[in-house]
Amino acid sequence: MANGLYLYCLAEGNEKINFGNMGVDENKVYTIAYQDLCAIVHDSPITFYKSENDKIVTKWIIAHQKTIDAAWQRFGTILPLGFSTIIKGEEGIEAKENLKRWIHDDYENLKQKLTKVKGKAEYGIQIFWFPKLVGERLIENDSEINKLNEEIKSKSRGLAYMYKQKLEKLLRKKIEEKATSCFKDFYDRIKKCVDEIKVERTKKPVVDKQMLLNFSCLLPKENIKILSRELIKIDHLEEFSVRFTGPWAPYSFV
Amino acid sequence: MKSVVTEPLDGEFERTTQATLVDLLDRALDKGLVINADIIISVAGVPLIGINLRAALAGMETMLKYGVMQAWDEETRAWETEHRKKKISPELV
Repeated sequence: MANGLYLYCLAEGNEKINFGNMGVDENKVYTIAYQDLCAIVHDSPITFYKSENDKIVTKWIIAHQKTIDAAWQRFGTILPLGFSTIIKGEEGIEAKENLKRWIHDDYENLKQKLTKVKGKAEYGIQIFWFPKLVGERLIENDSEINKLNEEIKSKSRGLAYMYKQKLEKLLRKKIEEKATSCFKDFYDRIKKCVDEIKVERTKKPVVDKQMLLNFSCLLPKENIKILSRELIKIDHLEEFSVRFTGPWAPYSFV
Repeated sequence: MKSVVTEPLDGEFERTTQATLVDLLDRALDKGLVINADIIISVAGVPLIGINLRAALAGMETMLKYGVMQAWDEETRAWETEHRKKKISPELV
């Protein structure tokens, strides 16, 4: 029984729009207006969308995203919700009434958030580096490491082993220091180009490269060139590689 | 050893316009507007969904097996290969 509403996003505007069967599980997506705002929904049973089948889950999540993007394009300013957010009805109260009551109760807060993200989009920035290359450059250029490296050459085998351990320890420390200083440097440089920045968890390293930082950024769409210029500069540094995704609806800033 | 400049400095940084499933999961499962009301049921904080999916996606190799993102996949791999070539100086290869 469909006595719930699957909520995709909240939008600025109150036009009645039928988005067709583009929703999760091919449900019909439409708008429910309250004053100058509207919710983009489909009629849903009151239950989580879950499946053991990854293919199905993937299809659902992509449908969720596509619907949000369609609404974003149509309305311009939206607050996206996470996958499978369902508004429930209660005895004698339809889900639709609960939805409107929520918008009514939370109206000021929602308006504020919409104002904050108006004309802006979210972008993902991930900067990777190549630890092997970073290490090699340090060995070439760091005076402290160089000195120790030279000393090893004049040592006996036993001592050289100890020195080698010392060298590895020093190298690790230098790499960590470099990671910290690069992180701060890139953070500052990117911060200057965007309105808001959110530091996300980094992902596990893959083969030869490691994720140094993972940011979500909110910025006016027209500022993308300024940000691009900075990212190109970073990407041109030998040891670094930049990955840039977006525009996303402002998932991280609502 | 400096890499070849592929993007003009006044242009836009090459964007992965069709993002990966990992990027999407990070957002659609963990983020978005939070509603603090008892009229809501949501999977936020409830590890019901996407767990297997995420495990499967942990490595970048398995990033995209799904039809919808096929075009992106090929494009990105090509870009990635090109990019890596550009980054590694010949003496290291």
